[in-house]
Amino acid sequence: MAYVATRGGERAIEQSQRLFRAEMGAITPERVAELRRALPYLIDRVMGEASLYDEDLAALALAQTGGELYEAILLLRAWRTTQPRLAVAAPVTQESLFTHRRISAAFKDIPGGQVLGPTLDYAHRILATEVLEGATSRPEPVEPADRPAPAQQPSVAAWQAANGLLSAPRADSTTGNDIPDVTREPLLFPAPRAHSLQSLARAETGGVLALGYAAQRGYGQAHPTVNELRLAEADLRVTHPRGTVFSAGRVKVSQAEVVSKKGSALGLGFAATLGWNEVKVIAAATLDLNAKGAPKGSATEEEFFLYHTEGVESSGFCIHFKLPHYVTFQSSLDAMRDARAGAAGAAPSKQAEPAE
Amino acid sequence: MPAVPQPSAFESRCNATYDALMWALSRPGLPRDLPPFDPDDLPAGLAHPAHAALIDALIDRECTVHCENPELARHAARSGAAPGTPRTADHLFLDGLATPDLLGDLRQGSDLHPEDGATLVLPARLGQGAPLRLSGPGVDGTLDVRLAGLPEGFWQTRARIMRYPMGFEVFLTDGARVLGLPRSTRVEVL
Amino acid sequence: MTLQSLTKDWEPMAYGFLDGSAKREIRRKMLKAISVPGCQMPYASREVPMARGWGTGGLQVSCTLVTPRTRIKVIDQGADDSVNAASIRKFLASVSGAPVTTDTLQADLIQSRHRIPEERLREDQVLVLQVPNPEPLRSVQPNMSIARQMHADADYGRMWLQLYEQIVRSGRVMQGASYPSLVNGRHVMTPSPIPRWDVPKLHMARHLTLLSAGREKRLHAVPPFTRVEPLVFDDVPYRVEDHAGLTCHRSGARGFFMNEIPQADGTSLHEVSDSDLGVKTIRAAEGEDTRIGATWYVDGEMS
Repeated sequence: MAYVATRGGERAIEQSQRLFRAEMGAITPERVAELRRALPYLIDRVMGEASLYDEDLAALALAQTGGELYEAILLLRAWRTTQPRLAVAAPVTQESLFTHRRISAAFKDIPGGQVLGPTLDYAHRILATEVLEGATSRPEPVEPADRPAPAQQPSVAAWQAANGLLSAPRADSTTGNDIPDVTREPLLFPAPRAHSLQSLARAETGGVLALGYAAQRGYGQAHPTVNELRLAEADLRVTHPRGTVFSAGRVKVSQAEVVSKKGSALGLGFAATLGWNEVKVIAAATLDLNAKGAPKGSATEEEFFLYHTEGVESSGFCIHFKLPHYVTFQSSLDAMRDARAGAAGAAPSKQAEPAE
Repeated sequence: MPAVPQPSAFESRCNATYDALMWALSRPGLPRDLPPFDPDDLPAGLAHPAHAALIDALIDRECTVHCENPELARHAARSGAAPGTPRTADHLFLDGLATPDLLGDLRQGSDLHPEDGATLVLPARLGQGAPLRLSGPGVDGTLDVRLAGLPEGFWQTRARIMRYPMGFEVFLTDGARVLGLPRSTRVEVL
Repeated sequence: MTLQSLTKDWEPMAYGFLDGSAKREIRRKMLKAISVPGCQMPYASREVPMARGWGTGGLQVSCTLVTPRTRIKVIDQGADDSVNAASIRKFLASVSGAPVTTDTLQADLIQSRHRIPEERLREDQVLVLQVPNPEPLRSVQPNMSIARQMHADADYGRMWLQLYEQIVRSGRVMQGASYPSLVNGRHVMTPSPIPRWDVPKLHMARHLTLLSAGREKRLHAVPPFTRVEPLVFDDVPYRVEDHAGLTCHRSGARGFFMNEIPQADGTSLHEVSDSDLGVKTIRAAEGEDTRIGATWYVDGEMS
């Protein structure tokens, strides 16, 4: 009699994956293309959290995982790990962004103007149930403005800094490979500014929202005013080994500046991410705004929110509790039974078990 | 999943080099053999080609390296490593040492980050010279070794300036053999 | 300098999955971890094709060490046939071409979650333990930076206090697995969630143990012949799980760490947690030619 059938485990794994995949059916190039076309905001969210900008790969990851977002992002992150670093693009400035949408809640009008751009903010959220009855919902054509908004606009914070309302962040002249890269170095605290912003950029949207919302509701010290929210495209300028600077294309980016009164000046919080994801950058900028001087262990302390909004780590750890823990459980039971035997007759102890 | 990848000759050599280094530090005082290398793979004219093999296994653009030998320095630069001084380098490759003074310059990390201590690679003659007695992690009780080619006072200086867990690691190479001395090893001059 | 000299040939997947730069970083950190036993070394910890918390730290170490000749054994909770062990073993073999085994004696590299095999490991073997939480101080200090400062200061007072309070309240130390242990007289480490039964196996062992936490991005090491001492008070001795008198109902093996199997009638049966030892014990009983190596525990006592 064999004690265990080692192959049994492998067969079970194989069949469990078949069950999962059977539900989704064949993954075709058409399906991937349709996902990419139909769900740009989901694609953006996935690319942001994966910190990998490739719409086709993001669509493929969604198709392959049936939309299990954490799985899709892990797939992309794992693929990203294996890719060589060919070049580092030139830094992108706010005023160089090709801007589609840019609004400020701080001023009625701002230099460069308010640009509403694509948004459902003022849509009435009514399901188009007629589609389920056979109708096709076609978007109305967009009517161009008489005077197009300028493609490039300055940041509102720059105007405030020029007017002495806030101290502009110190310019960081680090470029290329010298920029700290959180995917190649461990995150340690106090974290370099680059690590903080990179971590927020690839943070899990829901996690950032939960902690940012907590800060907004009053668990943070600062109440944010959205100085500016921007959806844009950034030009990737890369230097060829021969020295020529060229554009390698554009990526969609979002960024938010939030401010609040801090003494006699304004405090500034900032966040940016790949893809268009407004909730994430506003929540992330709120956390950034609140991070300075936050009490240790509070939800607005950088170490707390950066560790706990890392989606691949948090989701992985959460689901790891499904793995067998016979050994640790057995070990705890042993201590518990022995303690009870020792205390026989006395009231059972109410103390908490050490966490495992 | 693609077919099982095969290691290149370079990959295999780096892996085996690291294996020797890992066991050299795990069992201080016991020399390990570095893997053979094709002379064409390494720069010509190096007094200590093993040092180039160590660079291949360990060093890249995340490192700051001090190499005494200019040809070795060029080899390290090709890995992308930044050149450094004995005070700034995380890895140092020397052709020899006349006095132990340089040890005082080495990075030792901090209590908070002992990992920032340097790694010093030096040629020596293993199995010759003055007897030393090693003890500490990785040593089964004590181990007596003989090492030659190091300056007078090397061990006394090492013991004087390191305050564990701060410190630096030493690899001694002799041709294609390597002996490791982590900071945790106590060295007694007999 | 040519483009050719700057690049290498395209390959669909790097050998051992990790690229050269990831491996070099892990190598450098492992060397420092071995040099300061029990001290947690931060490393970048790349994403691998497995979820965080499922052995990605151990996997990165194994991927760095593996060669086409490294014989690999993977266990989870002591068992080779656990689905997660099977998954990791399959991945390691598929990215390295390394041969696999379930026999502890045959293995060059053993990646394990929560157990150390019962057969003694040799001085040519490497044990890679998967670590969910590398910080032994977390139960008294959840903030990682403050905990790191406590290690720097060898400030373990709160750890001792916690153990003391458990004794006062419950009459014994209530820590189950992951028993905090002092390494080389300096750093308190977690031995990973191995049972208390397994911690003495690390003390002055002949093999090299590498402990790696992928999600938390820390690795630490216990070199051979290194002191690993569970934190205990002089008058309250360290106690392993009370398994010395238990017998495996399937193999008859006795005096090893067991899994408890609840029965419908309210009782429990036990089976040996080290599945390969169970297999070998059965084979030996059936007269097959099987070699069982020397075990750390003999008749339920650490020898």
